[in-house]
Amino acid sequence: MLAVNQTKNTLLDGASIEEEPYTTPQESEDFFESLDKPSREPTQLAPRNTFIRAGVLTTVRGSAYMEYGNTKVLAIVAPPKELIRASARRMNMGVLNCYVNFAAFSTGDLDSVPERERHLSSMLTKAMEPVVCRTEFLNFQLDIRVLILDDDGCLLSTAINCCGVALVECGISTYDLITASTACIYRDHVFLNPSAKVEELLWKHRNSSTDSTTSPSSAQEHGLIITASMDTFEQIAQCQQCGYLSPATYVKLLDYTLAINKSLRELVKGVLTKRVKEQHELDLREKAETALEDQRLEEIIEKLKKQGPEEFIQSNIREDPYVKRQ
Amino acid sequence: MAYVALSEAEKTYILHGVEDDFRCDGRSRRDYRPMDLETGLVSNASGSARLRLANTDILVGVKTEIDVPNPLTPEFGKLEFFVDCSANATPEFEGRGGSDLAQELILSLQNAYESPLAFNYRTLCLIPGQQCWKLYIDILILECGGNLHDAVSLAAKAALFNTKLPRVTATMLDAGITDLIISDNPYDCTRIGIETVPLLVTVCKIGDYVLVDPSAEEEVCSTVSMVVSVSMRNGQAFLSGTHLTGGGAMHRDTMRNCLELGLAIGEHLDRLLTKMLNLEQQRVGLKRPQIVGFLK
Repeated sequence: MLAVNQTKNTLLDGASIEEEPYTTPQESEDFFESLDKPSREPTQLAPRNTFIRAGVLTTVRGSAYMEYGNTKVLAIVAPPKELIRASARRMNMGVLNCYVNFAAFSTGDLDSVPERERHLSSMLTKAMEPVVCRTEFLNFQLDIRVLILDDDGCLLSTAINCCGVALVECGISTYDLITASTACIYRDHVFLNPSAKVEELLWKHRNSSTDSTTSPSSAQEHGLIITASMDTFEQIAQCQQCGYLSPATYVKLLDYTLAINKSLRELVKGVLTKRVKEQHELDLREKAETALEDQRLEEIIEKLKKQGPEEFIQSNIREDPYVKRQ
Repeated sequence: MAYVALSEAEKTYILHGVEDDFRCDGRSRRDYRPMDLETGLVSNASGSARLRLANTDILVGVKTEIDVPNPLTPEFGKLEFFVDCSANATPEFEGRGGSDLAQELILSLQNAYESPLAFNYRTLCLIPGQQCWKLYIDILILECGGNLHDAVSLAAKAALFNTKLPRVTATMLDAGITDLIISDNPYDCTRIGIETVPLLVTVCKIGDYVLVDPSAEEEVCSTVSMVVSVSMRNGQAFLSGTHLTGGGAMHRDTMRNCLELGLAIGEHLDRLLTKMLNLEQQRVGLKRPQIVGFLK
């Protein structure tokens, strides 16, 4: 760090100059102490309280809404549309585009929203590419739009889950269901499904690495891992890691997230199965109403056959008193 | 990545070569193509490096600026990456064609350098809360021959090693205001420590095997790649940013194989790069090699 030379101004003789113009803020330390920290090894690998609903919008074919704790995400999938300008690169496969937008009220930090949108869009596209059968719509492009309504951490994994449900709702062919989860480690404490404050602690308040200068032999591991997996054949669609981790810690966090993904998969399967049942019941009800209409129509046809058209018409005409019979 | 037209027969040929551990250019699965690295090419930049990895050509320039630190991290300096995909590299980069690739490379580098343990931002601090250095790392891709992540990170690390920051002294004026005096002597400078600066290693899955340093043809044959960011600290390898790319999926065991291969190769690459950079720095006087740049 720079050494500051002090020069006294003779005109202001006797004036006091601040000896320490700056001190490191203690916000991160106080915040970390106030957290209800989990144990170093998580006892149960379970997702947060989750609500998923498919088909929440009527104007689009594929839509899904998901709440993961306090994180609220809406995903919209439109049917594939033809590419305006084809290029040689995309000759054998369709194009997948993901766009992530934040609502104006969704996060407290508005300055980093454009950068985060760009980053999330890129990572979401990479995560959804392995799951979509892109060979079934050559020279077409599939657009997925995600709207973030509330941000309380685990944003990318929630968006991946929501997009997976929306794709199935839209009828796009997929290889498998995709589920994603997040885990992070900070000062030897493993946070599964970290909240927005924990994620902010990792990236913004980076002064906690003061300890590493005093003890350079042991580096304070910190990092975040987001894993999206398709569990039928135990495939990992995307694994995004930030921070500074040893390989053993990386593998440990990876296994934690894969276990959470299995639980989420059962939940997503239940939601989609319920959705199919609802559709089936609606179809049955519609079929019953159609049968009722058909039955009423058949009765009218039988009456026509018995009485004949002339008598049927005659029996329905009332006598007009104003017309005299001649 | 850049587009390479390959038929199914050519892809099968490359696949069989990988299976036999004898790739189509004669390498094994763990080999890199030959690299040429030169530093100090651009005299106007504070640091510069040019890397040629067989057909891939990268030119990196580092420019420095004094800036105000981020209020949340007042003791840290700043780092900013920019990637320019030159239209000379491939015709598809004309106009805005290369923006997707450039954005992907920028995100990879930002992610790798994000942690203060991976890059020591404190060395860029001048006065906490008031003044700090901001480094602009501008990367120019002159030719695409595959494996851009590795080439870009190697060149960026070499350019950071070559960067010279002028010596700055401060005078405390009245009421706590500080005045900076920047030395204009070109030899009165400080260097940036690059011991823990990460390197990106791309591990490519073709068939049932994983390999490093894929060429452009091998990238077309691959369905998924894993970019591993390796940072060395006290002789131990750490991961400072990892992600999958390529549009495919892989098994967990395959990912562990990629991780082990990437870490081993990253360790070796980092040691070799540091050795070569120190060797080049020590050549002074008559032993100093002539800067040839692009005239080779």
